[in-house]
Amino acid sequence: MGVMQKKSFRFFPLLSAALLTSGLSAPAVSYALPLDVAASGFAINSSYMTVASDATQQGEGARNFIDSMAGRAIEFLGDEAMSTDAKKNSFKKLLKDSFDMNTIGRFAMGRYWRSASPQQRDEYQKLFETMVVEVYSQRFSDYQGQRFEARTYRADGEKDTIVTSFIIPDQGSEIQIDWRVRYKDGKYKVIDIIVEGVSMSVTQRSDFSSVIQRGGGNVQVLIDHLREKTKG
Amino acid sequence: MFFSKKFSPQAIRKTALMATVVCSMALTGCASNNMHDTAEIADPFEDFNRLTFDMNNALDEAIMEPIARGYRYVTPEFVRNSVRNALRNLKSPVNIANQVLQGDVEGAAGDVTRMMVNTTFGIGGLFDVAASAGIPYEKEDFGQTLAVWGVDHGPYVMVPFFGPSSFRDSAGILVDTFADPLNLYLSNTDQEEWIYARAGVTALATREEFLDIVKDLRENSFDYYAAVRSAYVQRRAAQVNDQDPELSAAPAIPDYDDDY
Repeated sequence: MGVMQKKSFRFFPLLSAALLTSGLSAPAVSYALPLDVAASGFAINSSYMTVASDATQQGEGARNFIDSMAGRAIEFLGDEAMSTDAKKNSFKKLLKDSFDMNTIGRFAMGRYWRSASPQQRDEYQKLFETMVVEVYSQRFSDYQGQRFEARTYRADGEKDTIVTSFIIPDQGSEIQIDWRVRYKDGKYKVIDIIVEGVSMSVTQRSDFSSVIQRGGGNVQVLIDHLREKTKG
Repeated sequence: MFFSKKFSPQAIRKTALMATVVCSMALTGCASNNMHDTAEIADPFEDFNRLTFDMNNALDEAIMEPIARGYRYVTPEFVRNSVRNALRNLKSPVNIANQVLQGDVEGAAGDVTRMMVNTTFGIGGLFDVAASAGIPYEKEDFGQTLAVWGVDHGPYVMVPFFGPSSFRDSAGILVDTFADPLNLYLSNTDQEEWIYARAGVTALATREEFLDIVKDLRENSFDYYAAVRSAYVQRRAAQVNDQDPELSAAPAIPDYDDDY
């Protein structure tokens, strides 16, 4: 039909909220394309065109990366014996391993990055990461148990792959989540999450830019907000 | 109200359609719709919009949100799903018409099938049997149709009691409301109270659906107004693209090579 990915109006506004608020269930994760199938597809392609095969390999790699990252998230989110603090630590590790927080934070500051001093940049990046951890930690308990499927991918530029995945609840509509995955220095990292068409990075940047702009173009206003948000 | 019986439904529909198309084109210009530019919208009435936004939020927190929470509290999920399914099914004619106007033949066929299957096997639309069979719901409206025709958003507007919209999209809502066959039937048979009842239930079901999203955005954004505006524009762009993964429009993110 070509209409398979159409959804009702549901999105979650911040980075990775999708994973955490919608909940994912460990036993039900489905790996849509097993590795051997992916590999054989790659082998056929590579006999025709080296460039295409590189792109395919990077795309497959990105999707497998999202699959295993989701699996990792599901593992600690679904562990009822785990304390919130322990989950928070697991989440921090996941963030460090799988997300390029520098790029995400810097993009969120938009054009104001240039006017920030080195000290402000450092402080901002630290606070930004803390905020992300704090915001998502509040949602651990929302976790309920739905399936996660990484289905398709497409290349976007040389380094980026958009991996399209779905969260499948027991009832109601599936939620589409697109991941922008960048392959750099031999590693895959998430740099944006797009929930039902709404990019977390773009939304955050609009929010931050407006705060700075309404504060007279002063980056410190945003940093103060972040400090307030992350303290205690 | 809107539905004067002096005019035939066809006349009303035609006039509304023409008026809206002409207005929205005149107001917004016929700029071609760049589907990859999703984050920006002109907001020349920002100060006024923010006032309206504050009012909407105050009313929402005092009245609408508590009612929606109550609705969620007293109803099991399958009941709420059935309410949503039934409302969508009632709106099928509008959805189908917009699919056709957008030239989406497949989409229109899918929606016709959905309406037939859900009305019969889905017991008057209470169950979304078609979605389980692989034809999921897809929201279409005249604002999206205008977008497909190349009409831009025009200015962002915060509509009192309603929420975020644009010149284009609010014109679209008017057309959809006027052209809805069920509304026309009800107004022509002196049963306008059912139009309001349906609008009320729709508002309630929608607010319930957005409970978590709205709470999240409210709590975790610094400038809630700016965050909502951004999310609205992006979401509408995704709906116009029918959320096709090939067209997912989030902008490129630069590769920051320097160690600032």
